[in-house]
Amino acid sequence: MEHIDPEHHDGTSDATPGGERDKRRPGEVFFAGFLLIASVGLLWSAWGIENPFGPNGLSAPRSIPVAATLAMVISAAIIIFKTAKLPLDRSETLARDILPVTAVLFALFLIAYGVLLRPLGFLPTSALFLIVAIKLLSKRGWLWTLTVSLTSLIVIWLIFRIVFSVLMPAGIVPEAEFIQLFRGLIRGGMAQ
Amino acid sequence: MTAFMDFLTVFTQPELLLLVGLGTFAGIYVGAIPGLSVTMAVSILISFTFSWDVYPAISLMIGIYMGGVYGGSRTAILLNIPGAPSAIATALDGYPMAKRGEAGTAIGVTTVMSIIGGFVGIGVLALAAPLVSDFALRFQPRDYMLLAILGILLVGSLSQGSLVKGIFAGALGIAIGAVGRDPLTFAERFTFDFQLLEGGISFIAVMIGMFGVSEALLQLHHVNKDAVRQKISRIVPSLSTVKKHLPLSLQTSSIGVIIGALPGTGGDIAALMAYDHAKRVTKNPERPFGDGAMEGLVAPETANNAAVGGAFIPMMTLGIPGDAVTAIMIGALFIHGLNPGPMLMIDQPDMFWFIVGCLVMANIFMLIFGLTGIKLFTRIVEMPRSVLIPLIMLLSIVGAYAVNNSITDVYWMLGFGVFGYFMRHYGYPLGPVILGVILSRLLDDNWRRAIISEQEDLGRFFAGIFSSPLSLVLFVSVILIFVSQTPLWTKAKARIFSKERPRA
Repeated sequence: MEHIDPEHHDGTSDATPGGERDKRRPGEVFFAGFLLIASVGLLWSAWGIENPFGPNGLSAPRSIPVAATLAMVISAAIIIFKTAKLPLDRSETLARDILPVTAVLFALFLIAYGVLLRPLGFLPTSALFLIVAIKLLSKRGWLWTLTVSLTSLIVIWLIFRIVFSVLMPAGIVPEAEFIQLFRGLIRGGMAQ
Repeated sequence: MTAFMDFLTVFTQPELLLLVGLGTFAGIYVGAIPGLSVTMAVSILISFTFSWDVYPAISLMIGIYMGGVYGGSRTAILLNIPGAPSAIATALDGYPMAKRGEAGTAIGVTTVMSIIGGFVGIGVLALAAPLVSDFALRFQPRDYMLLAILGILLVGSLSQGSLVKGIFAGALGIAIGAVGRDPLTFAERFTFDFQLLEGGISFIAVMIGMFGVSEALLQLHHVNKDAVRQKISRIVPSLSTVKKHLPLSLQTSSIGVIIGALPGTGGDIAALMAYDHAKRVTKNPERPFGDGAMEGLVAPETANNAAVGGAFIPMMTLGIPGDAVTAIMIGALFIHGLNPGPMLMIDQPDMFWFIVGCLVMANIFMLIFGLTGIKLFTRIVEMPRSVLIPLIMLLSIVGAYAVNNSITDVYWMLGFGVFGYFMRHYGYPLGPVILGVILSRLLDDNWRRAIISEQEDLGRFFAGIFSSPLSLVLFVSVILIFVSQTPLWTKAKARIFSKERPRA
């Protein structure tokens, strides 16, 4: 039988083990170094937490933060030491296996979405996002892309608005008026 | 008697019934579609059901949870891709069966066995939880503290990958949970003088980022992988097949409940242990294990569903989650103003019995949906990833925004999404982060309570631990996990692990 490949990233595991056990992936040391520096910074910050009501004893507000960040610093140091000892996995490259262009691009899309959400509103921003994203990933025709993305957007919007009553920023689309109009139409229809 | 009435709540209200059904249905698909995980679905759902009443919200989430654990087996059988971690062992024999054209039988047996396992788990939950919560009333603050640490450490050490990375992840979670003003002294912690940080970081944003966006970003690596079509015929298994495997299924269900009830261990470990057990006790399988043995399906599927009931025991009685999904369920209960722990069973026993009722209902729905709708199923699972990934991302953003109507939460969510993406790539487990965030407050409160009651004297604190059997057991377990990191233990563990996962 075939081997279950943990690298498929099929959502099969919360901790999709990165790469091979006895090899170091590209950028792994760098990431571990980042974690170590960030942990030291957080430990510094945790040490600075002052108890406004008394001495900084064992029950002070700083105790758990200091303990947690200290554990982070120690484990990050062990991780960086262990990782640096492993041989680099030559079969992988940073650009292909860790940070491919699509992943970077999508991260940027998501940030752009966050920036545009307030001013443009939920419907236009999401439509833009879905159309661009689906077009890019599926590489299919415009008609297919538009149909799929707009249909799913409408379904999602209906579910949110009606089932979950989630209010997203309306932006440039007069959503409330739409709904009011529909309600009016339905009520009008019922009255007849 | 009132307990029984509370248990029946879900059966008497059509709306709740419908929600459990919907949840189970959705859960089966979420669990089955590779790339969607139950953790992801429940974390996103919390934010949407935020404004609901507690009963409907819980109904929906329990359905998803139960259905999801079962749904993972579908793709494990059909595509050799376990849709959820708890279905890893199912693929070992399920996929060979499907290759021989017995996919229908495999799915049928899996369904029935999941339900048997599910009921055993629920039964044990209903019997054991009241007892455990009585016992838990005697827990000292230091015991809670030790339990929380134990849970985080176990989740870190049992997930594949190294314990050090698990410890880092857990500690990070505790630190994230501590951000904001300290509830006791109002001291600012990790706020860096930003007003934005005073209220803390929304744990929902952390969850959705780590389990939604980071997963979606990873999926981008595999956009073009095609699904395989399988012809499926008869799926309802014959009574004789079920009868034949009943003894084994009861044994493996018990394994499932026990493993599920331990803090830090969930359905995935239970399934692997049960598989191992089945291999040892089955003397003459019709086919060898790994080659399509029916027993190889029965064992993991009963165990992982039984583990659901088991996992609810520490969650409901102690407030200590067993794994990432139960951590998120605890988050959901928090949001709806409930406080899982021994007091929940005393103050709001109705809630407990309602949850038991929901679990039973979800199990029944699982049988219905499991044995029907297979055509629809194959179509939905074939949904192209090029559509799925953008949709997950969109849902994650909306989910993060919806809780507090705050764009800051969206940025936190995105930040943790990107961070989680790297963590996954480099083999850092994400489960302990979530457990840490959820348990941070409990840990902090109980540590301070414990140390204040010992007049801030560490010597007295340890003397207290050594004078109470319970504290001592917990303390020794925590120490053992650390000892297990020494090279000698790692070797022993490698030997055990290679036994558990024969060819994986």
